[in-house]
Amino acid sequence: MDINFTQEDLQFRDEIRDWLTNGGYPSHVKQKTDNGIALTKQDMIDFHKAVSAKGWMGYNWPKEHGGTGWSATQLYIFNKEFGLGGCPPLLAFGVSMVAPVIYTFGNEEQQKRFLPDILEFNTWWCQGYSEPGSGSDLASLKTKAVKEGDHYIINGSKTWTTLAQNADWIFVLVRTETTKIKQEGISFILVDMKTPGIEVKPIITIDGDHEVNSVFFTDVKVPAENLVGEEGKGWTYAKFLLAHERFGIAAIGTSMRQLKRLKNIVSELDNPELEKKVTELEISVSALEMTELRLLSALENGGHPGAESSILKIKGTEIQQTLTELFVEAAGEYALMYPGPHGFESNAKPEGPDFVANSISAFLNMRKVSIYGGSNEIQKNIISKFVLGV
Amino acid sequence: MNLNYSEEQIMLKEQIQKFCESEYDFYKREDVVQSENDFDANVWNLFAEQGWLSMPFSEESGGFGFGPIELSILFEEFGRALVIEPYLSSVVLSGNILDNSSYSEKNSIIEAICSGSMHVSLAYAESSNKYDYHNPLTNLSSDNKLNGTKALVLNGANASKFIVSCKSGNDLALVIVDANSDGVSVTSFPTVDGQTCSEVSFENVLISNDSIISSGSDANSLLKRAINLATLCISAEAVGCMTSCYLKTVEYTKSREQFDQPISNFQVLQHRMVDMFIESELCKSLLIKAMLEVDSNSEDMFKHVSALKSQIGKSGKFSAQQAVQLHGGMGVSDELMIGHYLKKMLTIDALFGNSDFHVKSFSASN
Repeated sequence: MDINFTQEDLQFRDEIRDWLTNGGYPSHVKQKTDNGIALTKQDMIDFHKAVSAKGWMGYNWPKEHGGTGWSATQLYIFNKEFGLGGCPPLLAFGVSMVAPVIYTFGNEEQQKRFLPDILEFNTWWCQGYSEPGSGSDLASLKTKAVKEGDHYIINGSKTWTTLAQNADWIFVLVRTETTKIKQEGISFILVDMKTPGIEVKPIITIDGDHEVNSVFFTDVKVPAENLVGEEGKGWTYAKFLLAHERFGIAAIGTSMRQLKRLKNIVSELDNPELEKKVTELEISVSALEMTELRLLSALENGGHPGAESSILKIKGTEIQQTLTELFVEAAGEYALMYPGPHGFESNAKPEGPDFVANSISAFLNMRKVSIYGGSNEIQKNIISKFVLGV
Repeated sequence: MNLNYSEEQIMLKEQIQKFCESEYDFYKREDVVQSENDFDANVWNLFAEQGWLSMPFSEESGGFGFGPIELSILFEEFGRALVIEPYLSSVVLSGNILDNSSYSEKNSIIEAICSGSMHVSLAYAESSNKYDYHNPLTNLSSDNKLNGTKALVLNGANASKFIVSCKSGNDLALVIVDANSDGVSVTSFPTVDGQTCSEVSFENVLISNDSIISSGSDANSLLKRAINLATLCISAEAVGCMTSCYLKTVEYTKSREQFDQPISNFQVLQHRMVDMFIESELCKSLLIKAMLEVDSNSEDMFKHVSALKSQIGKSGKFSAQQAVQLHGGMGVSDELMIGHYLKKMLTIDALFGNSDFHVKSFSASN
């Protein structure tokens, strides 16, 4: 057994650290994330453009499509270092979700049309999967696309659409045929958000923020050339896409950074009960980190870890949530106050620790992580079926 | 990075698995538990013949020089089959101290341990020490007389020698004593997992200068390292138990029918078994981390063994309790193996510092 990374991998890590600390990571964005200030749309664009300029946007793409062609280990290091460095999570919808579907199943014209803009972050993508009646049971989706000449006419609605208010394009799963088996008859279509008939309505979440939306489609006319792959094969592409979404799901770097912050705060409080909880959490983080390394080692040494990676989703999100809970505990009585997701106005700040507002916001916001990306209960179904064979 | 076992390690694992399957089923184990000695002389000889008793000793001492990774493999398999032979006390605890000491007679004793002809027990605990093994009340006087009572001496009834931790002046000392010396009395008691431990009293037992294995900071270090290695071993044993717990529970729920279907169809049971699987995998991850740290003799090795042991205390009992629960009435039947995993988990949590103790140790070493 050898737990050490190779010299090349360590050099790679240092290159990323250098970029993060020596001006690659835009300082106005870093300043905000370091201080828990919410990012604007332009901040997000600036950050992604900087990553793109460094040539790292296609982090999980093969070289032939302009990606980095990184190994699983490099990808792991990249993700961990970005988390440790306090970067906002890279938006997955374009680069990590729709792009692999396009370069794997799309035609050459689609590849030429969409991939360069994704690599340069010229287009902001969002994901049209969930519907009001189709969450975990995604294949029951009802949004319809009917072919008329060289167009599809789409009617229906999508929900929980993250940052649709910023998006230029959406990839949607639609029903092109009503079939006995619900997984058949689903197609994967790319839609310009400026198309007439699309309406985006905000959904305000319990933290008071506007992150997700309802997207309504009323007689939306989409050119047939925007269909990816074959009609009726959308479910296959959707499943393929979810496999790519696994990248960085354990969020180990981000959690390690938050843990460090938490330890600093708690060390000042003279609160042994809370200290014990923090220590227990630190041990859980170590267990998760090693579990991810074990899966990585299996991948790099010819193995095919499958459903085991659901452990990363379950434990990773439990740890992210526990972290936010402990920040709130550390705030003590001051956890009473919550000014909303964008903090207190600078001229009207109450007394009390300055991490409070951000902690409540994070606590409320992070409830989502055990729900999205296949809820943790769905992950347990997956392990039960594919690992335990029940 | 490669966290796979080497080919040699896989062979060792398969060899032990084969032994456990063919020579050590649950009924065999129960015979051993019921026997007078609480170990099986034939099995012990087989261990010696296979080289397992010599495995962790250094090559200079006549062993194979295998490290904590191989020991963890052995103990994980022991845990899966609930093997109760007294490997931990003789080979790991006493053996590790002897092997690393400069005690002049160590070679002949190690040879006797490796051949299976002698058991040596480490008397490290006392009734008042609360897991602090470095401040015993047992005392070695300036005229070399040993007085005091050691508690919970593992496999004490079978030991022909004891290595005893004691105070000599202000220093910790480790002395070796023949069990049949004048002034030594041994009273043995059953443990919850079917083994025995003893209370060993020393009354004016004369210790020759040659029998003082170590004293001062060297003794502290020898004792700390041996206990740390033993903690790693029983944690590996617990990981083996946890693996068996979820595998046996899956097997049982698939075969047990109620309401006209296998009870494994019920999602509440499926998710419970997934929780058992996850806990077992997370402990395995901490085990791998800890064994690599111990293997490289790093400064952080105590810390990572504490992380492991603290998690084992919680996850181990959780897994075994859920295994009992999902087996229903069968789970609490003495004649089924499953309840015995729970008893093993209780002993493992109690030994060398329970979960809370190791959370504190981990925190203190941060």
